[in-house]
Amino acid sequence: MNPEAAKLLGAGLAMGLGAVGPGVGLGIMIGKALESIARQPEVSGDVRTNMFIGIGVTEAVALYAFVVALILIFVA
Amino acid sequence: MKHPKRWIIGFLLIGGLVILALLPGGEKLEFEVAGEFEREVLIPLPTIGPFDLSVTKTVAYLWVAVAVIVVLTILISRTLKVHPGRFQYAMEALYELSRDGIVGSVMKSGKATWFPYVGGVFLFILVNNIVGLIPLPFGEHHQPSFYAPTANLNVTLMLALFTFVFTHYAGIRKNGALRYVRAWAPAGAPPVLKQIIWAIHAVSEIFRLISLSVRLFANMVAGHAILAVFFAMALIFQSYLVAVALQGASVLIYLFEIFVAVIQAFIFAILSAVYIGGALDQDH
Repeated sequence: MNPEAAKLLGAGLAMGLGAVGPGVGLGIMIGKALESIARQPEVSGDVRTNMFIGIGVTEAVALYAFVVALILIFVA
Repeated sequence: MKHPKRWIIGFLLIGGLVILALLPGGEKLEFEVAGEFEREVLIPLPTIGPFDLSVTKTVAYLWVAVAVIVVLTILISRTLKVHPGRFQYAMEALYELSRDGIVGSVMKSGKATWFPYVGGVFLFILVNNIVGLIPLPFGEHHQPSFYAPTANLNVTLMLALFTFVFTHYAGIRKNGALRYVRAWAPAGAPPVLKQIIWAIHAVSEIFRLISLSVRLFANMVAGHAILAVFFAMALIFQSYLVAVALQGASVLIYLFEIFVAVIQAFIFAILSAVYIGGALDQDH
């Protein structure tokens, strides 16, 4: 395989596979947060704040994949 | 034929789309996404040591953002009214969000000490992200181009370094250096396990710095790259139909990017508050 093609293929795979885990994780987390808000609307403020912290931490994983893809395309 | 008007409108729409699809497209243009993120030099200045002092697109955008913050805050604080106007109400909402929503909800002690930093970083990133969505004439040959200063790793790493330094400064000043560092491992654990936990915690402190800066950087780069691709798609496909369809789509993506800009500023500020609060009140 020529190196240019391998680079692009690797970048696509890195982004695509890297987005799977965080996607599932974010879905579960936001679903659970909505569930708990629906059960106890009075704690919605706290739940929302902690959900955003969790979103930030989880989302970072997908963004590492994005950075790896960028490195593969433009730097490597 | 119950609704003749609707039929006429429908036929006109379909006919219009067919005509758009048949029209010959304009000139084909080469487009590189990476070109949007090049740092064009606006005012060339000499290099001193390892530092290039030239004013680039990033610096110009940072100046604009800082000017917006300074003008907004000074104007509004000079003309405070009991019945707030539109701008004062917006600033009060931001102040309240950073005081009660960010600092108040995650920090236990030292709220008054660290609110200015967390609130300041929130406002700075928010204004930078939003100014970055407005095309300003800082591109090549002073063409309008949009670029967020936070889509530059140097800027976000600097912001993350502030949080990193302040976290350890706060922890050491409150708990004392030795007690602060010792509390990184739980007191009850067996000795060998304790050392491993301590080492993992020490590494995680460095990774907080990386994740904090890369999160903001990658979010803004991804958002601007998607916007740039959507704007350029019409030139690549050379079709008016694609152009019309994508202008609608790019408006939606613009709205989503405004949402992302607010969320990322919020997440950066709240994580800064969490880290500083964690260093102040160590639970183990």
